[in-house]
Amino acid sequence: MSQIPVFLWLILLPLLASPVIYLLGRLFRKPGLARLPYLAAVLVLAISLVPFVLAARALGAGETLHYELGSISLHMDGLGLLLAAVALGLGGLVALYSGPYLSKEDGQEKFYAMLVLMVSMIVGLGCATDLFNLWIWFEAMAVTSYLLVAFYRTQAASLEAGFKYLVQSAAGSVLVVVGIAIIFGATGTLDLAGIRAAAPAPILIAAGALFVVGFGVKSALVPMHTWLPDAHSQAPSGISAMLSGVVIEAGLVALLRSLGALFAVSASWPALLIGFGALNMLLGNLMALQQKQVKRLLAFSSVAHMGYMLLGLGIAFYSGQIAGAQGSMFHLFNHGLMKGLAFLSAGTLLYTLYIARSHHGPLMIDDLAGAATRYPLAALTFSMAVLALGGLPPLAGFMSKWQIFVAGFQTHNIWLETMVIFGALNSVLSLVYYAPLVNAMYRLEPSARVREGGRAPWVMSIPLVILGLAIVVLGVWPSLMNWLTEPAARSLLAVLAGQ
Amino acid sequence: MTLSPLLIIMIGVIGLLGAGFYGLLVSRNLIKIVVALQVLVKAALVGLIAAGNYNGQINLAQSLALTVIIADTIVAVMGIALGVQIRRHMGTLDVRELSKLKG
Amino acid sequence: MLKLFLLLTIGLPWLGAACIWLIGDRRPRLLHAFAVAFSAAAGLSALAMLPYASEEIAISLPLGGIFGNFSLVADGLGILIAAIASVIGCLAIIFATDYMKHAHQLARFYALVLFFIGTMSGLGLSGSLLLTFFLWEITAFCSYALISFHNDDPKAVAGGIKALIMTQVGGVGLLAGALLAYAYLGDYAISTFLAQAGTLPPGVLAVIGFSFLLAAAAKSAQVPLHSWLPDAMEAPTPVTALIHAATMVNAGVYLLARFYPAFAEIPGWSTTVMIVGALTALLAGLMAVAAGDIKRVLAYSTISQLGYMVYAVGCGAIFASQFHLLSHAIFKALLFLAAGAIITAIDTRDLQKMGGLGKKMPFVRLAFIIGSLGLVGLPIANGFFSKELILEKGLESGPLALYLVMLAGAGITALYTLRLNWLIFAGEPRGPEPQHDGLPAMRVSLGILALGTLTSWLLAGGLGNMFAGTLPFHHIEAETTLTVAEHIFSAPATWVAMAVILLSGALWFGRAKLAPLGRIFEPILVHDFGFEWLQTQISRLVRGSAALLQHTQTGQVNWNVAGILLGLLAVLILLARGISS
Repeated sequence: MSQIPVFLWLILLPLLASPVIYLLGRLFRKPGLARLPYLAAVLVLAISLVPFVLAARALGAGETLHYELGSISLHMDGLGLLLAAVALGLGGLVALYSGPYLSKEDGQEKFYAMLVLMVSMIVGLGCATDLFNLWIWFEAMAVTSYLLVAFYRTQAASLEAGFKYLVQSAAGSVLVVVGIAIIFGATGTLDLAGIRAAAPAPILIAAGALFVVGFGVKSALVPMHTWLPDAHSQAPSGISAMLSGVVIEAGLVALLRSLGALFAVSASWPALLIGFGALNMLLGNLMALQQKQVKRLLAFSSVAHMGYMLLGLGIAFYSGQIAGAQGSMFHLFNHGLMKGLAFLSAGTLLYTLYIARSHHGPLMIDDLAGAATRYPLAALTFSMAVLALGGLPPLAGFMSKWQIFVAGFQTHNIWLETMVIFGALNSVLSLVYYAPLVNAMYRLEPSARVREGGRAPWVMSIPLVILGLAIVVLGVWPSLMNWLTEPAARSLLAVLAGQ
Repeated sequence: MTLSPLLIIMIGVIGLLGAGFYGLLVSRNLIKIVVALQVLVKAALVGLIAAGNYNGQINLAQSLALTVIIADTIVAVMGIALGVQIRRHMGTLDVRELSKLKG
Repeated sequence: MLKLFLLLTIGLPWLGAACIWLIGDRRPRLLHAFAVAFSAAAGLSALAMLPYASEEIAISLPLGGIFGNFSLVADGLGILIAAIASVIGCLAIIFATDYMKHAHQLARFYALVLFFIGTMSGLGLSGSLLLTFFLWEITAFCSYALISFHNDDPKAVAGGIKALIMTQVGGVGLLAGALLAYAYLGDYAISTFLAQAGTLPPGVLAVIGFSFLLAAAAKSAQVPLHSWLPDAMEAPTPVTALIHAATMVNAGVYLLARFYPAFAEIPGWSTTVMIVGALTALLAGLMAVAAGDIKRVLAYSTISQLGYMVYAVGCGAIFASQFHLLSHAIFKALLFLAAGAIITAIDTRDLQKMGGLGKKMPFVRLAFIIGSLGLVGLPIANGFFSKELILEKGLESGPLALYLVMLAGAGITALYTLRLNWLIFAGEPRGPEPQHDGLPAMRVSLGILALGTLTSWLLAGGLGNMFAGTLPFHHIEAETTLTVAEHIFSAPATWVAMAVILLSGALWFGRAKLAPLGRIFEPILVHDFGFEWLQTQISRLVRGSAALLQHTQTGQVNWNVAGILLGLLAVLILLARGISS
């Protein structure tokens, strides 16, 4: 252990800070110091931006970021950097946001410790180079997220969601381990590059299926998605944003890493990814259409958006061209921004209308009526977020969908073109449920809840403004994110090409 | 076709997986669900060890298995802890009553 | 200079929208002033572009990679669209300062209208397929947001979402066409596409052509995608005049005209366009005869007139279609704004509650009648020249049957326009007393538009000249206004049309005898020829299947685990099939 490379601090900083944050909360219980864990978490995530920038620069300059300690080996490539960017960016904003949001709750030190730990685990997941390490990071991330979903441990709905999430996720996780056992037995190695180089054997296809399903639970592939609407709607809003914007995407990255290693064993991966993509889009949108609760609606919209990412990845797996992968990566990033913004804006309303009045009811669509008159910022950012999710320009979601769609058409393959059209029609369908949300908020006649609602804390507005601006800027200047999405797509394609 | 040890173990793994999933599908008691999850994990552990034995890396396989056990214990503990809270706040351990969130 | 004006034309309204949103609702007078100032400045800068028209790319903003360049081209077609959008936009805003005087949420209203004006100008001036689609979608959004401006009214909300969904379904056509073009040519530039369309595989080109037709039909409310426009009448009237009569609905016609040179050779394309246009002109005209709401009559009339423009594009008469687009934008904006003045004066849109309004509202009556002259196409009004030009081209180069349909359409136009005027102004008052004869700002807009209706045909020569000089792919010959007029007056088609118009005018006076006939057809006309029913069924199907699907989310943990097994089974089957094949 001669010297710790700078990218490792991205994992180490939050990892080491997590117990400190917890202890800070336990040791200093005086009222004046109750905010200590919160401030510490925000500070740690803000400081972590320094190693992130340094790592991004080093990667941009063509250096390889690699670290080995015993059997643990970490390698940060473009995909890892992208995941780190989303986890760190959204994680920091969520930590900042949660201060006022949770100010009345018990056990805040656990919340911040787990949040910071989760960020660390997700960054680590992006850097894993062998299957087993990948699984460990994945499992650790899952464990932190169980605790965060069931944070309101006196609320029946929150406990129910937490338990159902745990059972489904743990069952999926076991399938991954079985898949690892198969690969380990058949190839004698767990190194992703080693597996990629090993001779393809039919038994490896079974392992691939287990990975698709096992990691697919976390990334909410239909029909393994059933935990998602419960968990996303019951978690504290900041965690909903993290789950939707980062955690399910982390599951997707894990899936891609493992499938990349098995790319040669079957020709059916593109069809599989696109099939799941279509299923996710259709089911997510149709289910969202029927929802009456805002956060549950957004949760189903995440299922649909996972479909777009899968579509782009399927196109990349099919064609070996960078465009589809880059589009997916861009959409992954944008989805983090858009869904993060949607959940945080909805959370602001949920906070002012319910939580601040010590009431844990769900935020209904009808409650939104007239929100713009009293909460102009939250209403505006929420409108922007859902319209961006629906793919309307000049917002970010339009551009990343476009990039995926272009990739589909560039293959000149009639089936893929049909799928793209199917995706576009799904975007139109999604407007059927997004648009009424906007209409409701700009009503003149406020709902009873809005009339009685309190003021929104100003700290909660900061993340809303940042994310809102980002969505507009990326909507008119999409190539601004090329430095992040292109290396991510390249590192994915390099694996597929066996390099 | 003779039954090689590997085949027997594979059948055992599949059998354990089947038992675990059966438990998850039909159990109504929250504790039993957690136990069924444990059965699933045992299947995976047997699979890992068998794989290590098959390719001659039994030491590595054992250390992997140990790690899985640790990770899985944490999950089980959390499952049970959630069960305690559920029992306390909802007064039941019947998972069928844990279905307020649907549709 | 051109670059500056281009940026001002698009940027000023957007800047104004942002300012107005930030000012908020607390200072209504400031909002009115800002809106008028920004839109007027945009209108002036759009007009200032006229002498600089050129086919060259004026501004190009590289987005990089797969997004290509966002480019702006100030050619004849583009400047025409931009000028219409910003000038009529300015007049609509002036009108709105009176119309919306006591309305709530003014900031949102003006911000969206200004956002729309800038976007519509940009749509006309765009030189890149991606930018065109980008702005196309924004106009759909603005239209939706303004139709449901009165969000407390469920009808307004429903109308807005209906418009959004239907135009977006059409938008998928534009998306598919643009993606195909890019996938095969590797460039978003419209000029590249027009130049190299011939090199595309014929099947691909045909798909692009018909996809664009779908997009255009949805945006320009052509049959069978027309039913959103009558429902869009819930929007505040200045918005209706601007978006749903003068500008956005023209985008479809504009799109077809812009890409006509590339698609003209596709087998069956021109004929399909003509049929769509003719069918729309006829059916919408008939529905206008039966409608009982002043704005819905005008809406159907808009659909019908758009049918004329689409038909003209199908005939290859690009100049005639765009000339009619200009005429229609002016006289229909006039009609809608005059209708808006009537609506504010008596607070109803129901034709049965009007009647005898002329005596109390002479100014508005005059404006409305001038607009009607344009709509019917009687000499001296601009509609006469443009419509006769279309009919003449149709007789010349289209099938005779379709020409006869269009001719009948002209007659029906005369019939419903006469009926409309009659119900509003003639006879005894059947409803409330009018409160005013157009407020001052309203009168300004109405006066300018009435003047425009009577004189805009004088621009024919200039417009033709600009088209001929800046649209190299369209092969348009320039003619002076005098030649055009001479041409029209000497063509037999003109006089046939005049005869038909007079004849159908006479029909109105014989309406008592035709009443039984009307009773038979009225249900069909009021129910939109069953298209409405079809759409309801589709939406029911989607909702119904969604409701069924909801049962899959049981909330039971056992069932959730079953989902995992189901997924595993499906994946294994799919992969196993992959091995065997």
